[in-house]
Amino acid sequence: MSPTNIRIALAKGRLEAEARDLLTAAGLMSPHDRGGRALILPGAEPDVDFLLAKPADVPVYVEHGVADLGIVGLDVLREGNYDVYEPMLLPFGHCRLSVAVPQDRVDAYHSLRLNPNPRVATKYPHLALQYFHARGVSPEIIPLSGSVELGPLVGLSDVIVDLVQTGRTLRENGLVEVRVILESQAVLIANRASYRLKEARLSDIIHRLQRVLTDHHTT
Amino acid sequence: MDWRKHMTTYNGHRPPGWPLPHGVIDRFWQEAAHLHAVMDTLRDVFRAWGYTEFIPPTFEYADTLNTGAGPFLQEQMYRFFDRDGKTLALRPDMTIPTARLVGSKLFDQPFPQRFFYSGPVFRYTEPRAGLQREFYQAGVELIGVERAAGDGEILALAVEALRSLGLREFRIVLGQMEFFRGLLDALNLPPKEAEALRSALDRKSAPELQRLVSRWGVKGRAREAVLQLPYLHGAGGVLKQAQNYTLNARMAAALDRLHALEQVLDAYGVTSHMVLDLAEVRGMEYYTGITFEGFVPGLGVALLSGGRYDDLVGKFGPPQPAVGFAITLDRVLRAREEQGIPPTSWTPHLVVGGAIRADTVHRVQRLRAGGRHVAWHYTADDRQSLWTYARAMHIPWAVWCDDPVWVWHEGREFPLPAGDEWSDHVGER
Repeated sequence: MSPTNIRIALAKGRLEAEARDLLTAAGLMSPHDRGGRALILPGAEPDVDFLLAKPADVPVYVEHGVADLGIVGLDVLREGNYDVYEPMLLPFGHCRLSVAVPQDRVDAYHSLRLNPNPRVATKYPHLALQYFHARGVSPEIIPLSGSVELGPLVGLSDVIVDLVQTGRTLRENGLVEVRVILESQAVLIANRASYRLKEARLSDIIHRLQRVLTDHHTT
Repeated sequence: MDWRKHMTTYNGHRPPGWPLPHGVIDRFWQEAAHLHAVMDTLRDVFRAWGYTEFIPPTFEYADTLNTGAGPFLQEQMYRFFDRDGKTLALRPDMTIPTARLVGSKLFDQPFPQRFFYSGPVFRYTEPRAGLQREFYQAGVELIGVERAAGDGEILALAVEALRSLGLREFRIVLGQMEFFRGLLDALNLPPKEAEALRSALDRKSAPELQRLVSRWGVKGRAREAVLQLPYLHGAGGVLKQAQNYTLNARMAAALDRLHALEQVLDAYGVTSHMVLDLAEVRGMEYYTGITFEGFVPGLGVALLSGGRYDDLVGKFGPPQPAVGFAITLDRVLRAREEQGIPPTSWTPHLVVGGAIRADTVHRVQRLRAGGRHVAWHYTADDRQSLWTYARAMHIPWAVWCDDPVWVWHEGREFPLPAGDEWSDHVGER
């Protein structure tokens, strides 16, 4: 982290396109810097650059101060319990972290508390465990890194905890959403030290993002 | 003899690696010298301000430490059993033992009392942002001064401490817990909702605050006070701005207190390092007045934290107001590296080899008495292997005591001119 430059970490994938649109509209990113494999992109202003990272790494970069700001989903942020500021919610990347069960076993959820050790497949082991523990259920968490919907189909798990955007993937795999654990969307996060040491520059950036969003809503 | 071969093989094999538990590290060479240099600097500063040393025990009864620790710190304590079955714990900080000392032993001695400490503390957490499970702290506690002057002394000393470490452009973010507590009084929230508010403020989450005030149906000035709180920070004018959002006497008193403090800080000339933040609500279970954290460019986390904790000493004896701070030395080391502060020297100035004769020993002893760090190298068979050793160990000077005497300094060797004293030739680094 250099004291005068601003580095912004962006989550690759689901949130990337809309994050780039927002930053471009705020005049922070140049519109032609698309595609390519570079992991660090120059910004539209000389003291700003961007770091493209896996979503789960964005809060890590920001917490350690190698990036001053970051754009990431609330789902990823809450999974890791990071010590960062969250000054702004961004109006994209809306989805839910939900508990889903096989269609033909909807009552399986309601009898979870009767099951001493239900198996839960998920990419969010921390949030899933916290949710079930708070309800007095001690699940066996089966951490997966993709295609969580497969869990119940192949008999790996009784239920899954996964992100739901439209619900289509669930339906196609014969699963139904039974509970919402977390309503998620994109969030702007800030390093706690940068927020103090580069206060003027960061609040300027935050205000510009806010202005883009209000203009967008009123037009 | 090749020293590398000698160092890395043992009976023809590489020595086995001995595992260390997760969360502890060996500190040696540069790292150890750097840590101690930083500690020595701070101890000198603390002494100059009239603080005296307290060396608390490394472990004591877990119940005692629990008495002073909030639930969060309690969870992080290393506990184990004494032979008589009592539960012991390693000290998770130095403030609790200091409060116990003053509350239980020094309560009838004159006040104010000033203590400083330095040493390792132990917390069962995931190693993160430069902190191991054993990490080093140095800090101070000022006990028996309730006035803003006490807060001011501690903040000015914090600034002086960071300055003495050569750190530049640091900021101390100052909060006042009473302002937030006053707000909580005014809102009259159940504990769970109060915690939701504290957590949203701690994350500076303006959207979350919006959601909370709407859910609670808070209206008018109270609503404004909550929504404006995350913006009540900055270098100047914050106090004046905050006057518009005081809802009761407690909040107003908190601002008066900050106003008085501002004058003390002005007298010390340290206001340029201060940033006021009325939404600073960290460590609420502990602090009763001001709270503060220190940040430096190049380090993403705070390296200093402190505040006023007027309730702590009273848990161990007659109550006494208290205020203090701790600096996390492991983070200081990292910040100094980030800021390009030249590393502390850790090697001897000079290594001496060759025959051990009375006149050589005498010269070595005289250099040592003069403050130079001088080591003997007994096993070098010729001057070349002595030079090799000096180079590998970053020792700037080497002397081969033979006839003639040879002197080596950072790659150059020369025979000692006849009639010269070699001890006159070995200069500074």
